[in-house]
Amino acid sequence: MTRAGHQIIKNMPEGLCIKTRMQGRNPSSCLSRALTLGVTMLLCAASAQAAGTPIPHGTLELIAENQWIAAGRNLCFGLRFQLEKGWHIYWVNPGDSGEPPRVKWQLPAGLTAGAMEWPTPRRFEASSIVDFGYEDAVMLIVQLHAEPNLAAQQPIRISAGVRLLVCSHEMCIPGKAQLSLTLPIKSQPPPPDARSIDLFSATRKSLPRPVPGNWRFNVAEADDSFALTANLGHQITQAIFFPLAESQIENAAPQTLLPVAGGFRLRLRKSNQLLKPIERLKGVLVLSGDRAYLIDVPLSKPGAARGGYAIEIHTPQS
Amino acid sequence: MKHSTLYSMLVALVLCTFPLLSSAAKVGEAAPEFKGTASDGKMIRLSDYHGKYVVLEWHNNGCPYVGKHYNSGNMQRLQKRWTGEGVVWFTILSSAPHKQGYVTASEENDYMAKMHAVPTAALLDPTGEIGHLYEAKTSPQMFVINPQGVLIYDGAIDDKPTTDLNDVPGATNYVSVALEQAMAGKHVETPVTRPYGCSVKY
Repeated sequence: MTRAGHQIIKNMPEGLCIKTRMQGRNPSSCLSRALTLGVTMLLCAASAQAAGTPIPHGTLELIAENQWIAAGRNLCFGLRFQLEKGWHIYWVNPGDSGEPPRVKWQLPAGLTAGAMEWPTPRRFEASSIVDFGYEDAVMLIVQLHAEPNLAAQQPIRISAGVRLLVCSHEMCIPGKAQLSLTLPIKSQPPPPDARSIDLFSATRKSLPRPVPGNWRFNVAEADDSFALTANLGHQITQAIFFPLAESQIENAAPQTLLPVAGGFRLRLRKSNQLLKPIERLKGVLVLSGDRAYLIDVPLSKPGAARGGYAIEIHTPQS
Repeated sequence: MKHSTLYSMLVALVLCTFPLLSSAAKVGEAAPEFKGTASDGKMIRLSDYHGKYVVLEWHNNGCPYVGKHYNSGNMQRLQKRWTGEGVVWFTILSSAPHKQGYVTASEENDYMAKMHAVPTAALLDPTGEIGHLYEAKTSPQMFVINPQGVLIYDGAIDDKPTTDLNDVPGATNYVSVALEQAMAGKHVETPVTRPYGCSVKY
């Protein structure tokens, strides 16, 4: 039987990890401490692996943020990927090659899944090819909505079929996983699950956020490039743009930053695959290495005053 | 004197950087000339096929996206159909030595025999010269060149960017559509798409 909130729970290894760590506090020889540490690490590694369903070069786990489902409320679920060193999966826009994980939810009546929330990706560069994705560990968050009339009877089974591509610089392996977990339905507001709380809060920190209300953006189009101008009230020396849509900008082309008063201008080379004009530039803007923001900026109409007026920013809902 | 030295340096710089900066292969423009050695030992030159339609197929036998089209027989069917209609079909292997998809000439010949692949020739491009010239990003990435030597298609093989063999029936094959439209004297409606697959292992 599973404990609420987790797909497969191995109580023993987790308990053992804590227990051995506590024993380590007692006076003991260096050797035994080292041994204890070694055993602890092995057990922790074993428990981490046992927690997920195997995928090529890693594991995947379905995690609920809360202990139960409450009718009429939203509940967040996480798809947690843990990958071996040197392997990666892809962002919603995979870049020049690869493909993002695709999820097919199998939900009982009364539950609907919302859009996936994708943490800020990183760039994987190989020769003239640039991909966007994640290595080590990443969690994708999806919000499920429970209808107000959801009957509070038996526990509900939430299932997801996931297809994905796991790649190293050398090769790619397609994989799939069938995940499920069972949660009770109660009428009271559900408390967070003790183990999930840190994972969800860490993941939320890695999601790109909406831009502050006083920032202004403008996108002007030239023959071979877009110029994204940002007015933030302060100068920025480093910025990387990750386009949400494929085939808009040349992923491998250098993004040239020009600091301007109160902000910067970023030149983004148009993709050779872009044949039709685009209306908006949407994506994730990472400033000075770590802070990431979702931007959605309409293109300036040709002939409009350059940067002369503020443009409203809409943040994507996903 | 000083000026002319500076000028020639500038010209040299421009000439040196030009191939790196320019998008060498561009739809609507002349397809860049290349020469290469085929797995049967023949020297192939693109310009020798002027007057014919030419298809370029980027290949890596270890890539699951390539596997989708060979294990389903899709690529072989396309090769058979179009070479049967007089189209020249070059399978191009740009994997560097020791990287996935790199094969010797005899290994490639064995692979083609085993898979019943029937391109006009398989070109071995271990230096990536042809791949970089065409800026091939993925396997399988496809190009179509018309009898006038103009590039008329650059992109994916079809509209289902997955590794799933079940996606082959029902997919719109962009290469066939481009060839059909061009041969009927029509404008190629979808001349550029995002190629999908594994990164080319340069």
